[in-house]
Amino acid sequence: MIFQKSTLKNVSEEVEMVDNMPSQQPSDEVETVVGPSVNVEGDFASEGNIIVKGTVAGSVHTSRFLSVEIGAKIMANVRAGSAKVAGEVKGNLKIRESLELTSTARVMGDIEVKVLSIEPGALLFGKVSMPGLEAGEPRARTRTARRGEEMMPTEE
Amino acid sequence: MYVYLYDNFLRQKKYDSLVKAMEVRLTDYGIAGKILRLNNFIDPKQIVDEEIRRGAKTVIIVGNDATFGYVLSKAATCNCIFGFLPIGPDNTIAEVLGIPEGLDGCDVLSKRRKERLDVGWMNNRYFVSQLHIRPAAIKVIYDERFAVTTKDKMEVVVCNLQPFYWKKDKKDKNEQVVHPQDGKLEAFLRPLTKKGWWGYNYEDPSIFPFEEMEILSNSPFTVEADGKVSKEIKVKIKLAHSKVEMIVGRNRKF
Repeated sequence: MIFQKSTLKNVSEEVEMVDNMPSQQPSDEVETVVGPSVNVEGDFASEGNIIVKGTVAGSVHTSRFLSVEIGAKIMANVRAGSAKVAGEVKGNLKIRESLELTSTARVMGDIEVKVLSIEPGALLFGKVSMPGLEAGEPRARTRTARRGEEMMPTEE
Repeated sequence: MYVYLYDNFLRQKKYDSLVKAMEVRLTDYGIAGKILRLNNFIDPKQIVDEEIRRGAKTVIIVGNDATFGYVLSKAATCNCIFGFLPIGPDNTIAEVLGIPEGLDGCDVLSKRRKERLDVGWMNNRYFVSQLHIRPAAIKVIYDERFAVTTKDKMEVVVCNLQPFYWKKDKKDKNEQVVHPQDGKLEAFLRPLTKKGWWGYNYEDPSIFPFEEMEILSNSPFTVEADGKVSKEIKVKIKLAHSKVEMIVGRNRKF
């Protein structure tokens, strides 16, 4: 962990925190933290994990883990390896692996993700697309089309 | 040939025995050399350049973090190998370099394990350990891509070698430590929010690793780099990769 506290009590708290984290989250150290009451504007990109507790406007890009904490606001298109959202996001989310929306999350934008988990209470307004469904869609269309074609002559 | 740069505080009587013991140990290892004493009126770069011209290959800084920063902020560009013998209080850089305090430091020096270190560059001079901007209304632009602002004042600490220690407020007893990563400079931004009429509260810090950063303000702000204080309106901070060749210990933290 990057934050090292001296007392044993705090160490045990940290261990508990780690246990509560989702399994998808990478175990690497946190590299970039946007603290509360900090505003970031522009193309915010990082090679490592990002934790957002403040406000970000523009675009956010990381190849690794993004965490949007409670009270945080992102008004930007987001691209990340995996993400956990507990705050507010206004913009499209393009996540390579997994996205977790907690009960406090408010997302206004389209989501493109492989694995999505939404806790009850999370608010989402937008289109969700997952890459696994692309292959199945055209087959379903053709079947309905064929049925329609078959139905037509019998009516005549 | 070795050259030893002693800090002025080593003249104090309490360090006499330790300094003598170290000199004996260094002689035993066959790495004793010329001793020069630093003071406020000496430019370390001039001395080091002069000694290199006379044939010195290795320059050893003897003192604490302040000595280390004072010498390397000027002499980082010199073409020689640097070493460090930590003595006295305020020695946090030595721990990062894996050099134990006192006599054991001589053993590390004799093993001559060399590493190239990154240093920070700020408005035409180098800083090795830490750069500190006292709370001011500033705007920070990272890598010319994104800008960071706050509603009120903000304190900035840029760490290269030295870890960043912080507390939530004066009453907070748990000092927290963030160790900088290698290959990048790390900026710690702590915004201040108003409390009551006069007071200010420190918020949790933001952490941004970067290679280039620009700090702007409408009014002059105070910058402290390796102990040297100056007033600036615009500061450009960069990372100079592998600038200093240094003797380090096996237990180094990078």
